[in-house]
Amino acid sequence: MTMWLRVSLTSALALVAWLATPLRAQQPDEHAGMAGMSMPDSAQAARWHVMAQAIPVLTHAAHTAGARDLTEAYLAQPVLMAHASFWRGHAALDGTLNGEGLTMKRGELSTGGFGEGYVDRRHPHAYLHELVLTGLGHAGPLAYSASAGRGFAPFGTDDPMMRPFEKYPINHHLSQILERGLVAGAVRLGPAIVEGAAFGGDEPTAPNSLPRMRRFGDSWSTRVTVLPSPGAELQASYARVESPEQPSGFGLDQRKRSASLRTISQDGRRYFLTEWARTVEWDGDRDVEAFAYETALAEGALMLKSIGIALRLEQTQRPEEERLLGGFRTPRPASDLAIAGITQWRVGTLAVTLPSVTSGPVRGYPFVEVARLSTTSTAPTSVFSPAQFYGSSSPWMASVGFRVRYGPLHARMGRYGAALTDGTAIGALGVSPDRSQAHHH
Amino acid sequence: MHRSGPLSALAALSLAMLACSGSDTPTDPGATGPRTPVTMTVVGPGNFKPPHTTGELFVRGNTAYTTTWNNFQSASPFYIWDVSGTPALVDSVVVPQAQTLGDVTTTPDGAYLVVATEYNGGSIVIYSLADPRKPQLVSRFSNNETNPGVHTAEVGLVNGKPYAFLSVDPAGSVAAKLVIVDLSNPAAPQQVFSKFIGRPYVHDTFVRDGLLFLGLWNDGVAIWDIGGGGKGGSVSAPVELGRVQTANGHVHNIWWLKDPATGNNRYAFIGEESPAQVGTSSSGDIHVVDVSNPSAPKEVAFYTVPGAGTHNFSVDEANGILYAAYYNGGVRALDVRGDLGTCTASQQSTPVNNPTSHLCDLTKMGRELGIGLLDRGNPVYIWGVQYLNGSVFASDMLGSIWKLRSISRP
Repeated sequence: MTMWLRVSLTSALALVAWLATPLRAQQPDEHAGMAGMSMPDSAQAARWHVMAQAIPVLTHAAHTAGARDLTEAYLAQPVLMAHASFWRGHAALDGTLNGEGLTMKRGELSTGGFGEGYVDRRHPHAYLHELVLTGLGHAGPLAYSASAGRGFAPFGTDDPMMRPFEKYPINHHLSQILERGLVAGAVRLGPAIVEGAAFGGDEPTAPNSLPRMRRFGDSWSTRVTVLPSPGAELQASYARVESPEQPSGFGLDQRKRSASLRTISQDGRRYFLTEWARTVEWDGDRDVEAFAYETALAEGALMLKSIGIALRLEQTQRPEEERLLGGFRTPRPASDLAIAGITQWRVGTLAVTLPSVTSGPVRGYPFVEVARLSTTSTAPTSVFSPAQFYGSSSPWMASVGFRVRYGPLHARMGRYGAALTDGTAIGALGVSPDRSQAHHH
Repeated sequence: MHRSGPLSALAALSLAMLACSGSDTPTDPGATGPRTPVTMTVVGPGNFKPPHTTGELFVRGNTAYTTTWNNFQSASPFYIWDVSGTPALVDSVVVPQAQTLGDVTTTPDGAYLVVATEYNGGSIVIYSLADPRKPQLVSRFSNNETNPGVHTAEVGLVNGKPYAFLSVDPAGSVAAKLVIVDLSNPAAPQQVFSKFIGRPYVHDTFVRDGLLFLGLWNDGVAIWDIGGGGKGGSVSAPVELGRVQTANGHVHNIWWLKDPATGNNRYAFIGEESPAQVGTSSSGDIHVVDVSNPSAPKEVAFYTVPGAGTHNFSVDEANGILYAAYYNGGVRALDVRGDLGTCTASQQSTPVNNPTSHLCDLTKMGRELGIGLLDRGNPVYIWGVQYLNGSVFASDMLGSIWKLRSISRP
């Protein structure tokens, strides 16, 4: 077993203290269950919401890349999220700064995870994770909005950061499109929401990378959401993403589909999500399908008194690529259009979140998370053998940590303007019983 | 119970004679239409399956060298084989600071072995072949220009001096580049040229008679005068003569044929490397480009294999037969002598996703002479191929090395 402590205690504490510094305009307790579609009336002045979060976490991964057992600790998900509503609710600004590029540069142990040149580790997100300006209006029963900036393209389900597990699902890169320079629009009429966006397909290549201007508009997505009853949400979305992994724009394109059902109780104590997504990598030069990856996921959470319990079941296919030294990175960009194979992963993850061990403005919610995985190659002749590479076809992971948070918990992440829906935050993420802590983002 | 009679003995004798002949001869003349390609005779596979995935190969005399790919370790081995008969492992050499050895070749005089390394900064490693079975390290060339890896390293003579042409991988937002290294003093290689080039890659090069052909992926094929083009170019100051976009881009490798029997040097063969799942599937065609006017090269024909894609080539120039590694499609032998750009309408086809382009189809022209390694009972995935002295050698990513008999002209 190897212990890695990549972050000094001093720097970690300094970062948490910085993230927890209150802002003057903040009003943390006033915005539970804000209805996203409703136009704030003139009585609503400019509003600021700030949430700071960081998760000190210790993870043990048995049978991870290179047939090793590893134990590592980091400060995961150090984020500062802010939402501002101004001009009598006709404008909004959403921003998220993410410090993972400083606290977990090597990525976070996450067997099965992949994306942006990391594999079996979750990659650090961009420092400027999200900065989106939205204008909102309405005409009779119709609400509409237009957004621009860097953020989430309207596709798929909520970002895993606002879902009740510390470890991201393997399907993160199949089910969300984020950190893109975009222009998006949304309209809502009654229970129906339609969104569309044009954006640049290029993924970040490093935490400090920004969307490339010349790639802007080469990709698009659309999402239709129906709200059949309070707390219930059906969505279907489609996206065409040009060359996400090759910044110059000559890599394989992606054609993505997603469908999901999400329900949450009014008090956030019961939550359920099931989703299906499929990404086809498309050779645009030959106009043929090259590879396809499919995922199905179901997750739920409930509060038993003040203890949050969450279970996630996932089956996801992912590409296997040439690996760099150590086994956790792949060349970016890849040197050609070949992959070493496709593996299929099945994962069961159980998370238990305890009540905050602190009171006051900074809360700390202890959690334990255990994941059991199994993996197989989808082709018998593949040169990638999971059993050989991991030393077992059934890896597992266990994590313990704290969700350290200041400010109201954001209920959603990945929607803007008229596409925001009613509801509250998922209780199993850790919510103070003594006050409402939900904010849409 | 089976009894061997005179007919069985005669059949066995015939088979033995066929097996002992120097090469396989296609029997279907197929002059005006598709022919039935022969199944190439296999001498045998290597007697050892490396624990690493096999990459490229190079053969000189009775010694072959095979590299390894995707090792994610701090060092990677290459293997040395005695190929005088069925390939037999002789030795291996471990190259430090390398995760993939994507290319291997020798200097034209056979005195030195040059191995390309990827992903620990990238380099070429030069070994003395005073004893071809015991390569001895001479030097290693690496600098900021070779980072993150040297994908291929072709070696050729220009005005009598040996040069290595390094295709360097892109890294993040840094583009791919070509680096030319003077190997006159193998102990101290000297860089003489570098240039960002290729969208997004420069994958391979081919040098002959002072011309350099570059495979620039979606930028097509470029032809440079580096000393033989009559435009004043040199290795340190190349002059571009022409460029062509072949169907579907993805230009990977080139072979400019110079037929010693006819003197014909009109055609360059371009390998298109399209998406592939190693061990399972592949795609990409061979494109034939008329380079008789280097300033205006033009694609005139192509060869496609449904369900498989090409990788590296080797040409038996004396007999006008091109051997192509075809990944899961094994080894393909094509008749490339004569006029490839003139065909009847019925011999034309449309390359995939190029509906308005009608090119000569080498299969319909009866140019497909042989297929190798698809009769083995187990799948193969052929990365590299080399013709040498009546034999064809192939490197198999699912195995090691194969030796086959070459094809004779029909």
